[in-house]
Amino acid sequence: MKYTLSALGIVLLVLMAMLGALASLRGTLNADALALSEGSKSIDDASAEFKRGLKAVREAEAAGADRERTAILVERLNSVLGMIDEAESLLLKGNVTEADAIAYQTIDISKRIVLEAVELRDEASLRTYYEKIFTFGIVPVASLLLTLGAHFGWKWWRRHEIDRIMRMEKKKEPEEEK
Amino acid sequence: MRRLSEDMKRAVVIFISATIIFSMLAYIVVTPMPKEQFFQLYVLGETRMAERYYPDNSPNIPVGRLVKWYLGATNFMGSIQYVVIKVKLGNSTIEAPDHVNYMPSPAPVLLEFRRVLMDNETWDFPLAWMIGDVLEDGNMTYATLLVVNVDSGVEVRSGQVGALNGHNLRIIFELWTFDPVTENLIFGWRAGGERRVAWLQMWFNATKPLTS
Repeated sequence: MKYTLSALGIVLLVLMAMLGALASLRGTLNADALALSEGSKSIDDASAEFKRGLKAVREAEAAGADRERTAILVERLNSVLGMIDEAESLLLKGNVTEADAIAYQTIDISKRIVLEAVELRDEASLRTYYEKIFTFGIVPVASLLLTLGAHFGWKWWRRHEIDRIMRMEKKKEPEEEK
Repeated sequence: MRRLSEDMKRAVVIFISATIIFSMLAYIVVTPMPKEQFFQLYVLGETRMAERYYPDNSPNIPVGRLVKWYLGATNFMGSIQYVVIKVKLGNSTIEAPDHVNYMPSPAPVLLEFRRVLMDNETWDFPLAWMIGDVLEDGNMTYATLLVVNVDSGVEVRSGQVGALNGHNLRIIFELWTFDPVTENLIFGWRAGGERRVAWLQMWFNATKPLTS
């Protein structure tokens, strides 16, 4: 009876230990899953912010922004893409902390890109607006200059022709000379 | 009412005509010329020309033999575009991309290359790959493909595909772009209300290494 109780106690202890181990493992797995999901969330946020940056740069380009300045922003968007790739790769390897850090870094870069692109877009919109006003504003000026040119040109040519006609002399024929 | 002199009438006619002509010119100047919008997608051999795609010009690739290609895309869309080239691994039975219904191939994606391209910008990069291993199971040969991208450091990706006797395996390249309307990546691109796609495939056979 004594031995049976001891055996039962050992079995119970082993069972408790197994349950404890399972709970601990489950906790670790949950923590890993949670960390992975957080890492993947930060990458999703980074991708969403990248899309915002891309949209802003495209708007700046459509507004007529300078190609060189747009190219600089595009280059930075490409560096964001490279960093997101790196973060994804780190996440696959299980390095959640570093993946998160890189993802948050790209979010900051993308936000700065959005700000600069908006500034560039506003600048370009204003410049394009003034360029259009200037282009269409010059139309009546050019027309007036052309009209004045044609008017005074015509007058000069007419006076020149009248003078030429008035200065004309009748040519004497050889027989008359004799 | 005073009648206009002949000179004045002529001046008014010239002014109106000149205004019409110059307005048309101004409109042409401020309006961008419409042009055909498209992408170019290409694969070049190891010499960066459309030749020597396979070692010894044979599509029978032995295990461990490095094959080097250059993949490229050019943006002729007239604006900045976000481009993704998906590299897929398939055999002869897997469906190819459908250019009528704009459906991509269901083959598994081996890796993706992403880049934002300026208008008229060409992007090309090396793609080096090899067959890492072949596994024979009856008539079927399963090839494990390793992609070793040497563009920026070394990045190894692998995928497995099976084919009868290891024949007619293929690598499919699909061009995906960011659609500003849906704000998602789509296979191909939209141009003036139309949808178009671009994809390429390179066939090869997996062979066992020669035993000496």
